[in-house]
Amino acid sequence: MTIAPAAGLGLKPQHYAEAISDTAAGAWFEVHPENYMCEGGPRHAALGAVRDKHPLSLHGVGLSLAGDEAPDEAHLAQLRYLVDRYEPFLVSEHLAWSRRGGVYRSDLLPFPRTSSALIRIARHIDRTQEALGRRILIENPSLYLSLHGHDYGELEFLVDLCRRTGCGLLLDVNNVYVSASNLGYSAEAYIDAVSASLVGEIHLAGHAPDPTLGAGLLIDTHGAPIDETVWRLFRRLVGRIGPRPTLIERDDNIPTYTHLAAERDAAASILVYTHEAALVSA
Amino acid sequence: MSLHDERSFFDAFDAALAGDDLALVPWLTPPAPGLAVYRNTIVSAAIDALAATFATIRLMTGEDWFRAAAGEFARAHPPIDPALVNYGADFPGWLASFPPAQDAHYLAGAARLDWLWWQSWSAADASLLDPAALSTLPAEGLASITLGLHPTLHLASFEASIPSLWLAHQSPLRGEAHQLADAPEQILFVRTGPHVQSHLVDPATFAFLESLQRREAVLAAAECALAADPECSLPHILTGAIALGLFTTINLIPDTPR
Repeated sequence: MTIAPAAGLGLKPQHYAEAISDTAAGAWFEVHPENYMCEGGPRHAALGAVRDKHPLSLHGVGLSLAGDEAPDEAHLAQLRYLVDRYEPFLVSEHLAWSRRGGVYRSDLLPFPRTSSALIRIARHIDRTQEALGRRILIENPSLYLSLHGHDYGELEFLVDLCRRTGCGLLLDVNNVYVSASNLGYSAEAYIDAVSASLVGEIHLAGHAPDPTLGAGLLIDTHGAPIDETVWRLFRRLVGRIGPRPTLIERDDNIPTYTHLAAERDAAASILVYTHEAALVSA
Repeated sequence: MSLHDERSFFDAFDAALAGDDLALVPWLTPPAPGLAVYRNTIVSAAIDALAATFATIRLMTGEDWFRAAAGEFARAHPPIDPALVNYGADFPGWLASFPPAQDAHYLAGAARLDWLWWQSWSAADASLLDPAALSTLPAEGLASITLGLHPTLHLASFEASIPSLWLAHQSPLRGEAHQLADAPEQILFVRTGPHVQSHLVDPATFAFLESLQRREAVLAAAECALAADPECSLPHILTGAIALGLFTTINLIPDTPR
């Protein structure tokens, strides 16, 4: 019997060997495809070996879907190549922009959620799904600025994009918490409003207070263990919508594999528990 | 400026990233400390990408000097592509004219070697030519055939012993004992398995391989080797190249007299 992907880990190069030999039930891995946009070498060999043993997800950071320029065709072609080569079970991107005028800004930048932005981004998602020949998931980003000029709330905007393009949601619970804290709204209300049928994946990560401003500005660092508040929001979410493939992201202060696997296993037990609870109440 | 003018927003955001705190005023009420988060992330991601590629330069200069220089480079030459694994081609050339690097004129050359090592590491994998195929080459065909080189092969030539200095920094002693000499040196990088190999090569071998890189015929490549060193041994050059796995194919050159 094949076990459906349960809780997974962001794959780091220092953990390739341990990832390949990991036998946890439902274990899966996620990478940024941009890190594999080279022609060959040890990185591809290692990713191929991980993929031989485990399901893989490609989580893009460079398509700039919210930008005022269409997704770069060469980038889409490279992404399609990786999709064909590694056959990921999920492909995702962000509701953000980064590329414009021949320059790539390596961050996930915000924009006003206007009616014309909705049409523009839906067009970019359509083009991406057409180029990849499959459905993608879109992730809610961490927000650090209270922009004026929004016509839509973030969730409303994401749901409308899903409705227009057939894409799904990658709900990053840590990003919900960081944005809600920075911009002053209720993370619980956001989590409670998410439509169960649209969520295809969940992300969990650590954050940190800004070094100078403190808790007034939380930074989505991916550099610390998952905060208890975020675990609580996660339990609240899956308690309502049921289990989804859930990823532990860690990109800075990377601890041992054992440490990350323990966080992954903690998420896996919550998923199993909510699944069993749902079966009992059904 | 209208709040619904999409293009103006992106222009304003770029100006804000470049340091103009008031550029986003229609959309953002200052002060907005969140802007610094974006500014920092963008520069530090570029610095981290350069730090991964230019590992020897970090050893030579120290972490603080490197990150300061890489930050200046990243601001002047930001990445054009989200695949940061390919970022930094212009860094060696930029270092050559970076005033604080003038005391260490070897830095630009060493950076070029880091870049070539990285190119070899990430280049396409390929299967090697069966050496037996070479023994079947007819001598009269050498003017019309060439040898396809491994996609991971990269060559570099220097007027000083920068390759030896670079190689010394790959050892645990970090090259502290190495004295830079004004002797020309040539180096090659190739990766036929998981590890990049780096080897100093003699001028004749270098000239032979450079000629094949230009897709010239084996005969022309042999002439280049002999021009670089009339005493060189062609069988020796070929055996050495085969041992390193430098050849992948035998190709007929179109439109050459046979």
